[in-house]
Amino acid sequence: MSPSLLIWLVGGVLLLAAGIVTTLLPRLRTRTRATRVAWSRARAAIDSATVSRDAAAVRLPEADRLLARAELLAAERGGTAAAQVATEHARQADRLWRSQS
Amino acid sequence: MAVAVVRARLSRHLHLLRWVLLVVAVLVLVVFVLAQRQSIEVSYGQSPSSSVRIEEGSAGELSDATVPSTQEMTTLVATDSVVRLPGAVARWDEQRVREAIGDADIRILVAPPGLDEAEHDRVRKVDNATVRVIGTQVSGGGLVSTPDTVAGWRAQFATHDVTDQLTALIARLRKAPAPAERDDLRWREPSERELATVLADLRTGGSHVGRGATLDGVPEQVARTAFPDGAWYVALPAQPYGEPLPAYGPALTRLAPDQPIVVLYGGWIEYHGPAAAEFADLAAVSFYAQLGSRLSRYDYPQRNVLGAYLGKVTDIRYAGLFDRPLPYRPLDPLRVALPALPWIFTGCVAGFLVLSARSLRRSGALGVSGRARHGAGAARLAGLTALAVEVSLLTDARSNPALTRGIGKLQAARAALDDGLPARHVWELLDEATAELDETARMVGIASYRPASYLQGRLS
Repeated sequence: MSPSLLIWLVGGVLLLAAGIVTTLLPRLRTRTRATRVAWSRARAAIDSATVSRDAAAVRLPEADRLLARAELLAAERGGTAAAQVATEHARQADRLWRSQS
Repeated sequence: MAVAVVRARLSRHLHLLRWVLLVVAVLVLVVFVLAQRQSIEVSYGQSPSSSVRIEEGSAGELSDATVPSTQEMTTLVATDSVVRLPGAVARWDEQRVREAIGDADIRILVAPPGLDEAEHDRVRKVDNATVRVIGTQVSGGGLVSTPDTVAGWRAQFATHDVTDQLTALIARLRKAPAPAERDDLRWREPSERELATVLADLRTGGSHVGRGATLDGVPEQVARTAFPDGAWYVALPAQPYGEPLPAYGPALTRLAPDQPIVVLYGGWIEYHGPAAAEFADLAAVSFYAQLGSRLSRYDYPQRNVLGAYLGKVTDIRYAGLFDRPLPYRPLDPLRVALPALPWIFTGCVAGFLVLSARSLRRSGALGVSGRARHGAGAARLAGLTALAVEVSLLTDARSNPALTRGIGKLQAARAALDDGLPARHVWELLDEATAELDETARMVGIASYRPASYLQGRLS
């Protein structure tokens, strides 16, 4: 194999690799960041809901169930969609308790 | 400010440059790949002479002549020391050959030209024939005897004379010293009538085909490239051995000195006319040295021999001999640039890599996530935390949950800030915390503890 041919091969592979890395790396990073943001939001909502439950005068099975589900989702640590569902449940439970107190 | 603008512009230019480098690299790669389609094309200065491959037998080189079976030929050779099969054309000086043979037992089998492969095999398998002559090709004892001078080829192809080849081969087989070659060919002046007939034909049609010649027209295209100004063609059959040849070439040249004249005697082609001295021998030698072996074994029609000869003449013409200017060949930019391509490519790849790494670093994808820009989010967080601490002294059971929720949101915002999550998310959490603290302040009933006014007061 001549050195010239080697240059073409290695250069082509490098180009391809650089293209893939510069495309995939930022995308991957955006994805993980979006997931982390979603879970941060979900945890904040769950915390709020927990505080509301502790402050509530009456027991609300419906809200309890919703919060339990949100906590279960949080414990399983899914992706962005799971975090969104958990956030939704927690907020709904929060609203229910707040409307009672 | 100006520095920032310049930097932004530079950054945009670098970004553009990255893609330009990529495009150039890909282009260079494509050019390189396309340039790999190498072709092997040998020509004399891009001579237009045809180099089409011709299938065996399609050029009319096979004759109707055939040979008996090997068994029959072996019997014939055993009976006679010289066997001439029907259709054989080779002739020789019997006196000289007999002298060469001397007292050795040399048996000669003479076969006609234009045999196909199977017939060749049959002749080759006649083991008791010491010397085989197929057409005018002389072989024997694993050797082939061919002439290597113009005179030798002329004798072989114009009169089917194989004396020199026979004596040379026999001497070699007998391990005797090689005899001297002799040019026994004689010329004669063509008679007035002959010359007049030929000249009349040439003046009207440009060619004369003698009785018995197999030329059925001059191959036009190659004739035009070989002799752009036209030439006269005189075709005669192979001349009988031992008789002098009519020298039409010199006679016609005397009559028309500026006219190129091509004379065919059987398979022998001569050129006369302008520049004959430096051109004729070169054409003959290169033509017969290359094709003599095939021409001797086979029975090509004169048209095909002439076509091949004119192709050779074209090649010589385009080779730039005889002060003919070479056809202009423009500089091929690809050929010139090809050696530089790998380096251009390498440069482009390196540039692209560097700029890619730079763009990755700038977008923070290499893990250097920015903790630098706490900025407004951190200040607001600090303000709201201070508010929460102050308010916490005044809350009661009713306002406690809202405060707790607010503090929870503040903690979440702090965690998000520490994790380097996007400022928008931090801001969102702070908004929620603000809403909770606002509610707390409303419940406590102190307007100055509402976040909006509290933060404003802190600032002023």
